[in-house]
Amino acid sequence: MSKFSYVLKNTLLNMRRTPLLVFATIIAVLVSSFLVFTTLSARSIVENNTIRWQNGVHVVVFLDDRVTTTAHKQLEESLESYPEVRTVDYFSKLEAEEEFKVLFKDQPELLAEVDYEILPSSLRINLNDPSDYTLIIERLDGNPAVKEIRSSGEAIERLLSLTDTLVISASAFALLIGFAAFILIINTLRIAAFSKKKEIRIMRLVGASSTYIRLPFIFEAVIESLIGTSIAVGFGWAVIEYSKNSVVAESIFDITISDDYLIFLTLSLLMFSLIFGLFASFVGIRKALND
Amino acid sequence: MIKLKNVSLVFQGGSVAISNLTTTVQEGEFVYLVGHSGSGKSSFLKLLYKEYIATKGEIEVANIDVSKLPKWKIPLLRRKIGIVTQEPQLLENRNTFENIAFALEVMGALPEEIEAKTNTLLDLVELNDSAYKYPGQLSGGQQTRVSIARALANNPVVLLCDEPTGNLDPDLSIQIVSLLEKINRAGTTVVMATHDSTIVNRRKKRVIELKDGKITRDEQDGSYIVR
Ligand SMILES: Nc1ncnc2c1ncn2[C@@H]1O[C@H](COP(=O)(O)OP(=O)(O)OP(=O)(O)O)[C@@H](O)[C@H]1O
Ligand SMILES: [Mg+2]
Repeated sequence: MSKFSYVLKNTLLNMRRTPLLVFATIIAVLVSSFLVFTTLSARSIVENNTIRWQNGVHVVVFLDDRVTTTAHKQLEESLESYPEVRTVDYFSKLEAEEEFKVLFKDQPELLAEVDYEILPSSLRINLNDPSDYTLIIERLDGNPAVKEIRSSGEAIERLLSLTDTLVISASAFALLIGFAAFILIINTLRIAAFSKKKEIRIMRLVGASSTYIRLPFIFEAVIESLIGTSIAVGFGWAVIEYSKNSVVAESIFDITISDDYLIFLTLSLLMFSLIFGLFASFVGIRKALND
Repeated sequence: MIKLKNVSLVFQGGSVAISNLTTTVQEGEFVYLVGHSGSGKSSFLKLLYKEYIATKGEIEVANIDVSKLPKWKIPLLRRKIGIVTQEPQLLENRNTFENIAFALEVMGALPEEIEAKTNTLLDLVELNDSAYKYPGQLSGGQQTRVSIARALANNPVVLLCDEPTGNLDPDLSIQIVSLLEKINRAGTTVVMATHDSTIVNRRKKRVIELKDGKITRDEQDGSYIVR
């Protein structure tokens, strides 16, 4: 216990000696973690909003359930005969219900209230060229079996590829800034070790274990890293909560992201941050204490 | 207590600090290590606490096989050895009490233990009056005594002193040696490297003389003999 408090006290003393470096390190970890957190959350949100449009569904034809299933069958057959159409899949009311449950699994109140009878069956069309969606709309104009046509056009594909680009470029930046944080930690430790040179020499002389000599440095790196990531994650949650409640968001986009995913993301980031701090401190200590 | 067998220490540049040296120091002995500058006195002591690693030979200190001791176990060896360097190496931002307590603190001793033990040590080196003074406010002799007290904090069985009186005037030197003798009488083996002929000649003890890393003389109740 006395050992632990000594280590903690020394960690804080070290950090107080180089406040600017500590600050810079925390900021770097913060920005890096924030980038990772927000882009991964954003991707999850986009995925949730586009589940229907993935796997190459370019046009969804909602069917009028008042007309007979034979009419639905006929429509499907004629769609299949069009040259621009690659495949047509029939999506029953039951499947629509399943999909709805998946999409809104975070809103149990909604799931409880909704009358699944109103969910229509549909035909999901994959086109050879997504930009031909206008042709389908023209062809089906006035068809009594059709209730509504929704098309992703190229927009969804573009959105998805944009998200991927965003995730990749943000990850690259996160890596760069993470590397800067790494360098900062190493330098902070080096300065701390230098200013405690004599103390460390005496500790070695009187037989303090090397773990004991190292612990304040390891603690320092881990604490800085965890503080940065915690603030970033806190910000991230706040931003998501804010967007969920904002009117603008609701009108274009459903901010649905599962709490499970957010918790998973948070814990993974904190874990990663811990490992990052440990790793940086090991490298830093090797350089600083040269052993 | 200390055994060296065919020990050599050759530095990377090729300079030989210790050359095929064999000797034994019994438990409870007081040994002066003398010799010209560069004869290997400091190297001899540093080999014993594995600050330097012998190029060849076997070393045993306090029943620990120093030559085979892995690096991570060096702290265990150091806990059995008290080390007093020529420069007292005190922490400027800590007072006498805290400097001595430091050795106990870093071993994870309990506060009550630290308090009691440090006070005993302050008594032993007669620094009660200076307990709350900082190194900058202490004389050279007092600083050396602080460093001796710190070396004794973990009850070592051997005390290694490298020219502890190097910076002191003769009166103070005698005081320090009297202190070391007192510690020795209490059972601690003492090896002291020194340049101080007066002390060696006045306080007859075993004298080991080194030259070019070899023992050229080893006498009980020896004298300094300057050449
Ligand atoms: N770290 C080192 N690297 C290279 N050579 C060294 C090192 N330490 C000591 N030596 C060499 O080893 C020899 C013995 O040095 P040592 O310091 O043991 O002598 P000494 O008897 O303690 O001298 P002094 O009385 O001046 O303290 C010298 O030739 C010295 O130059
Ligand atoms: Mg020397």
